[in-house]
Amino acid sequence: MIARRLAAILFLPMMLAFGSGVYLYLGTLKSKVVKTRADIPTVTKPRLVLPGTMLVVQDGRLFRLKDGGFTEIGAPGEWSQPTVTPDHTHLIAVLRSGYSSDLYLLDLDGHILKRLTKNDSRIVDYNHWAFYPRVSPDGATLFYSYDGPKHVNAAPGDDLSIWSMPLNGLQSQARRRTDPYWYTGGDVTPIPLAGTGLLFVQHSIDSSTAVHSQIRLQSRPGDLVGKPLTSLADNCSEPALSPDGTQLAMICTGGKQIARLEVAPFNGTSLGPARVLLEGGLYASPTWSPDGQALVYFAPSGAAGHFELWWLAVPVAATPSPSLAATPAHSPSAGGAGSVVVPSLPATPVPVQVTQGVDLTATSPPAWY
Amino acid sequence: MEGRAPARRRRASRLHPVRLVILTLFCLLLSGTAGAAAYFLPVVVAGVGQTGQTVVVPPSNSPGLKVTPTPAAAAGAPFTVLLLGSDDDGKNKSPLTQSMILVRVDPASKHVTMESIPRDLWVPLWTGENAKIDAAYAYGGAAAAIATVERNFHVHIDEYAWVGLNGLIKLIDLLGGVDVFVTNPVLDDAYPDDINGGFLYGYKTVAVLPGAQHLDGSHALQYVRSRHNDINGDFGRSARQQQVLLAMKVKASTLNAADLPDIVNALKGNFKTSMGLDRVRSLLSVASGFDLANVKQIVLYAPFYTNYGPQISGQSVIYPHWTQILAVTKENFP
Repeated sequence: MIARRLAAILFLPMMLAFGSGVYLYLGTLKSKVVKTRADIPTVTKPRLVLPGTMLVVQDGRLFRLKDGGFTEIGAPGEWSQPTVTPDHTHLIAVLRSGYSSDLYLLDLDGHILKRLTKNDSRIVDYNHWAFYPRVSPDGATLFYSYDGPKHVNAAPGDDLSIWSMPLNGLQSQARRRTDPYWYTGGDVTPIPLAGTGLLFVQHSIDSSTAVHSQIRLQSRPGDLVGKPLTSLADNCSEPALSPDGTQLAMICTGGKQIARLEVAPFNGTSLGPARVLLEGGLYASPTWSPDGQALVYFAPSGAAGHFELWWLAVPVAATPSPSLAATPAHSPSAGGAGSVVVPSLPATPVPVQVTQGVDLTATSPPAWY
Repeated sequence: MEGRAPARRRRASRLHPVRLVILTLFCLLLSGTAGAAAYFLPVVVAGVGQTGQTVVVPPSNSPGLKVTPTPAAAAGAPFTVLLLGSDDDGKNKSPLTQSMILVRVDPASKHVTMESIPRDLWVPLWTGENAKIDAAYAYGGAAAAIATVERNFHVHIDEYAWVGLNGLIKLIDLLGGVDVFVTNPVLDDAYPDDINGGFLYGYKTVAVLPGAQHLDGSHALQYVRSRHNDINGDFGRSARQQQVLLAMKVKASTLNAADLPDIVNALKGNFKTSMGLDRVRSLLSVASGFDLANVKQIVLYAPFYTNYGPQISGQSVIYPHWTQILAVTKENFP
C-alpha cells in the first residue's frame, strides 16, 4: 500500500514533466523560417574583414561597417540609400516619413547637416518621393529620382524621373533630366559621369504589356530619353560603375524572378560583352570595392531568406583600351587596407558570405569608400 | 483453498518490476499524448472552425452556361483550388473578392498552374444575373463564387481557400516575410489606408522600389494590392499576386506540422477553407517538392482574353473573350 502511494507521488510529477517536455519539444521542431528574426548588425561579427568603410541599412537604421565591426550611426528614422560625396566628407541619404521621402546631407557620423528637399504635404496627393541620391564626380550636382511633376499637363505624377540640383543650392533649382514612361514607375538609379553624361535605368512597357528595365546613357542634359546600353529582353538594372569607370556591374533577370550578376566593360559610350559572374539567385545592389577588384551585393542566405552581404572577387577581364576609358565617377581609395584581411583573388569567382542573420535592406546599395 | 486467498492478495499488492515498467510506459504515453494534444489544441479548434468548410454549390439558373460536372479528385490525383482574397476591412458587410486565382495542383508530376480571374470581369453570376465576378462571394459566399467560376470557366473546383487582408499580412509575417524581385517601381498615390483602424475610405501614398528584396506582411500587401499606377491595372496586380504566392510557397516548403499552431493562430478569423487538415498538411509536404520551373502562370490580359469596355452603372468592367478564355482554361484545367 505504501509502495503504491509512493509510486503515485513519484508518477504524478514525472507525468507532468514528461507532458511538458513533449509540449516544449514540439515547439523546438518549428521550422527555422518561422522562428528566425534578424539580428541587429552591431551584435554580429562579419565573417570577412573588408577594407575601407561601408554603409549599409537595416530596416531604416544606418550602420557603418569598418574594421570588421558594425556601428550604428545617425538619428532614429526610416533611413535608406546612403551615398558618399566624392571627397568622402559627407553622406547623403533618404529619410522616409509618412507619405513622402526627403534627401538629407549628413556628416560621416550620420548627423543631419541640411535637409536638401521638402517633399511632404498635408494633402496626400501632393506628397513626393525622392530616392537614389548620387553626387556628380565634381561634387557640385546632386542627382536623384523624384516623382514630379504632379498633376501638370495630364502627367499622372506617380512615376519617377531623374532630377538634378546643385548640392549647395535649393530644390527650386532642380531640373528634370529624363522623361519616364507613364504608369511604369519611371526612371531610377542615376549614375552621373564626368562631364554631362548620365547612366540611369528606365522602365518601359512593350506591346505585349510586359514591363522592362533597361540601362540607358544620356550624353547631354537635353536628351531626355538617352540611348540604351542593354537590351529590353535582358531586363538589366541596378548599374554600378567601377571606380576607374571602365566596368559596369548590373543585375539582369531576362524577365524572370531570378537574376544574374553581370559585369561588362564600359568605354563611356557603350557596353562590351557582359560576363555572368553569378546566376540563379536573388541578387541585389552590386557595389564595387574601392580598389575595383571585388564586388559586394545582397542575396538571401538559406530558407529564412534574410538578405545578407556577400563579397565576390571580380576576375580580371581583358584590359580595356585606355583611349576609351571613361572618367571615373569616384576616385579609387587606398582604403587603408594595411591591417585588414581580404582573401586572395580566386581563379573563378566564389562568393563569400560576409554577414549572417542581419537582413540588410536590399534596395539600399552599400556605400563603400 | 480458503487459506490461499489472502496470500494472493498480498502478492498482487506488491509492485512487480514488469508491472512497474508497464505502468511507467503507460503513464509516459498518457502524459506525452496530453502534451502533444495541448500543443496542437489550436489546430484542432481551427480544424473545427476554419477548415473543412462545407460548401453546397447552388444549381445554375443561367441558361446557356452548362458545365458537365466532373467527379471530385481522388487522393493523389490533380485537384483544383479556388483562392479567394477579400478586402475585409469593413467597407462592405459582405466583402468582395479582390483576388480570385484558380490553382491546379498535380501532386504526381509536381506541376502547378495558376490562372488569375480579373475581379472586374462582367459575367453571369450563379443566379443568371450579370455582375462583376467579385460580387459573387459578397452575394452568396464561397459556394456562390465557386458556382459562378465553375459555370463560366467550365472547370471543376475541388476546394476553396479564402483569406482576408489581415490574414495575408499575418501569414507572411509568420513565414518571416517573402523574397521577391520587384520588376519596376510600384508607386501609388491613392493606396487604401484602411488597415489598423484607419479611416475606411482614407488613402495614402506607397512606394515599393524595384529589385530583389525582402517584404514583410504589410509591404507585401502594398505590393499585391496597389493598382492605380500600374499600366496593366488589375492585370498587373494579378501578376504580382501570383508572384507573392510563389514566394510564399518557397517559404512554406520549409514548414512542418510543428508550425501548424502558429499558422492557425495567425490566421484566426481571417481564413476559411473547404480543405480538411489532412489536405492542408499534405499540401505543405507537397509544396516542398515543387520546382518553380514547374509552375505555369496565366493572367487574362487585355486585349487577347478580355477588353475594357463601357462602364455599367458607373462601374468599370472588363468584358471576357470567352473563346480564348475557355480554350486556355480547358488546356490547363482539364
